[in-house]
Amino acid sequence: MKRSAYMDRMESAPRWILCFLGTYLAVHLLSLYLWHSAGLPLSTPGTSGNSPGLFETGLAGAGLWLCLVALRSFPAGTPFRRVWMLLAVAAAAQVAPGALGALRGTLSLSSGVLGAGFASPGWMERMERFALLAGGPLRLALLAAAMLPLLRILRKFGFRVRASAAGRAVFGIFCLFTLCRFCEAGAASLAGGRIGSGEWISLAGLPILCVLFLEAMLLRRAVAGMGNGLIARAWIALVFAVLLTGAGEAALWAIPHYPQSLPLAMFGTLIEISAAAAFALVPACQVAAQLHAVNPAGSRPADLATGVPALAR
Amino acid sequence: MHPKRAALIAYCDAETGADRGGRIARHLAECQECHERLRRIRGEKEELSAGAAAPVCDPARDWDAVLAAMAAWREGRDGGAASELTSRLQWQLEKYFGAPATRMLRRPGVRAEELLGEANAMMEAFLGPQAAEAVRDDCLRGLVWAGPAREATR
Repeated sequence: MKRSAYMDRMESAPRWILCFLGTYLAVHLLSLYLWHSAGLPLSTPGTSGNSPGLFETGLAGAGLWLCLVALRSFPAGTPFRRVWMLLAVAAAAQVAPGALGALRGTLSLSSGVLGAGFASPGWMERMERFALLAGGPLRLALLAAAMLPLLRILRKFGFRVRASAAGRAVFGIFCLFTLCRFCEAGAASLAGGRIGSGEWISLAGLPILCVLFLEAMLLRRAVAGMGNGLIARAWIALVFAVLLTGAGEAALWAIPHYPQSLPLAMFGTLIEISAAAAFALVPACQVAAQLHAVNPAGSRPADLATGVPALAR
Repeated sequence: MHPKRAALIAYCDAETGADRGGRIARHLAECQECHERLRRIRGEKEELSAGAAAPVCDPARDWDAVLAAMAAWREGRDGGAASELTSRLQWQLEKYFGAPATRMLRRPGVRAEELLGEANAMMEAFLGPQAAEAVRDDCLRGLVWAGPAREATR
């Protein structure tokens, strides 16, 4: 009985994620509307500094756990083993900034008890830099690496892996955006402005994001040739996650340029959380499909005993 | 009036009564056409008698006919199972991948065993071996033809 309830929860993970995201978006947009209609000056309730919010970290954690569940169902030697391993490591890298942000907060609060050495500025800065690297270029590189075998498998099974005109246009637009960002940073550097490590790390992630965009466009085309089945949904979620990550980057770039644009910062935060939800949806849909296969009608106790343990235990 | 064929056969077998036999005999003496018909009946009768004594038998041809009948019966039975398996596979493929993927696999003229093999390979790659096995078992459940198909996918 317990196992059945657990399975039902696992199988309905995509629905839970979507419900959570919907509620989060609705509450934020409602508060934005109320705040605006009250005529109050809008202060951005986004995340503090470079650390992702609690919800984003929570979604990343859920995504990591679901990735590990999906990974366990692919034994060594199977084609998707590598894909899920890289996706799991990428999910872990997504959790890292939030976890390190919380750790930094805890250390700075308890520096009086533990001693100043634990919360020295150098140590804190190193942690922040590592968090930025892990959540930025490292994670994107892992995702790009995971997409390569995925596209290869799709091609092997006869799905067309070729970018459409719209896909090429989206990729081109993002390449132009990347070029603009580099030109802007170069111009600022030549003008004597100082570019922080955070900015450099963000810039380093952009070319990788370009590659990821191209892969996402190829994946979108391949999945369109597959249909909208349970497995196809997982990979279409990955396409949306990459697109939302790109949109989040664009929003992050636009915020300092338009400081008076009141909802922009909030939209930036909402895009980031939507991207985190989309990343969590990838393994959630995969695990849901696997559990559905093992227990199609949800009423076959014989299958519960055989199929569930390896997938969900 | 010409006598009927049945009456001529009876006359030939001496099974008509004296009166009727006399009438037919008188008619045959006058009618060349009926005389000819009687002659043909007698010829056929002799042929049949000779065949019954030594029946013509071609064992190879008869055995082939028996085998062909058995194959037709089995094909009819397996054809039903194959059709059922194909429709189950199509349903599963549409559920997990989608209609375009199903159309891609279900090419015209593809046999149920081939479709099962290809669908199984896809399921195993995308869902993992355990889930793919569960899907395959679900497809093959209750099919008489399941034995060879199971072996084909392993």
